[in-house]
Amino acid sequence: MKTFEEKWTAWLDGQLSGKELAEFEASLPDLAAAQAEKRDAQKLGAFLKDQLGALTLSNEEFFSHQIHDRIARDSADRDRPRSSWWTIPRLVWSGATALALFVITTVVLMSQHPSGEQSEYLTQILNSRVDPAANPNATIYIFESKNENKVTVLWTEGLQTLPADYAAK
Amino acid sequence: MFLVLAISAASADAAHAVWSGLVIAENVPQPTPIPPELTKLEQTLKELFGYNQFELIGQSVKTLKTGEEDWLANSKYFGLHVDARGENDAGYTLNLKLYKEKDVLLETDANLSKSSPLVIKGPQVGSGQLLLVLVVKDDEGAHRRRRVEPANPITAGWHRLRRAIHRILP
Repeated sequence: MKTFEEKWTAWLDGQLSGKELAEFEASLPDLAAAQAEKRDAQKLGAFLKDQLGALTLSNEEFFSHQIHDRIARDSADRDRPRSSWWTIPRLVWSGATALALFVITTVVLMSQHPSGEQSEYLTQILNSRVDPAANPNATIYIFESKNENKVTVLWTEGLQTLPADYAAK
Repeated sequence: MFLVLAISAASADAAHAVWSGLVIAENVPQPTPIPPELTKLEQTLKELFGYNQFELIGQSVKTLKTGEEDWLANSKYFGLHVDARGENDAGYTLNLKLYKEKDVLLETDANLSKSSPLVIKGPQVGSGQLLLVLVVKDDEGAHRRRRVEPANPITAGWHRLRRAIHRILP
């Protein structure tokens, strides 16, 4: 059973006929107004057909291909991870290299002086002076003993001789 | 870890004492035994100065914690003022002043090595000779600790690293 709207649309499109057409037109309260409305609708339909027919794409395949291509590129850009120099493999290699350098440096440093080895440094005299007024002829020599004690000697000559009393504790 | 290393390094650095002595060297018919502080140097002192007796007339032992302490070794007439001005790779930088009463007889700056004693020939005193001796010794307590606890390789490595960096960037 068709509704009124369905029958109205079919009547406007000229698709009703025979008994169905007669019954529908008889059910209309104002047939003249309905006929006027039908004419207007048909005019509008004809106008739209003319206008839409003028906009038909002549290269629709190319246009469609362009759109597909653009969509594919956008999807690829979205899916691709953001690139950075610090990728996981590079991080791993950098860490391993730094660790290896540290180990090599430590081994080299530790092998330079075996544990417990005594320093080879000798005592150094940086400068020396005696009072020139009291000891005008004083001279100073510096040398190291040749034996295992590695004694550094600051040797003075010409200092004023003092009486034996000065040896008191 | 660096805190532990720093503490270890500081305790190792603090484990030294400087012994300073005023010695009268003399030739006498009946020499007295050399003081125990000089036993290790006895032969060297005899060879260097030709005396048969070495008598201590003043001494001082100073344990260095910061490397910037100062102290005095005194006899009745002489005074040896030692002013430590910091520790370095070789040992300690010292300023030494030998006083005769209030007069400065001799002044010197030296890097005293932990493995190399310093002997200074002072003035002739009567028939003898005044000598000043400075030796860096291991602090007794630290020495005992070291015997119980073997050297920590990490601390030793840290010291070597520090020395290497000091060598590169003095």
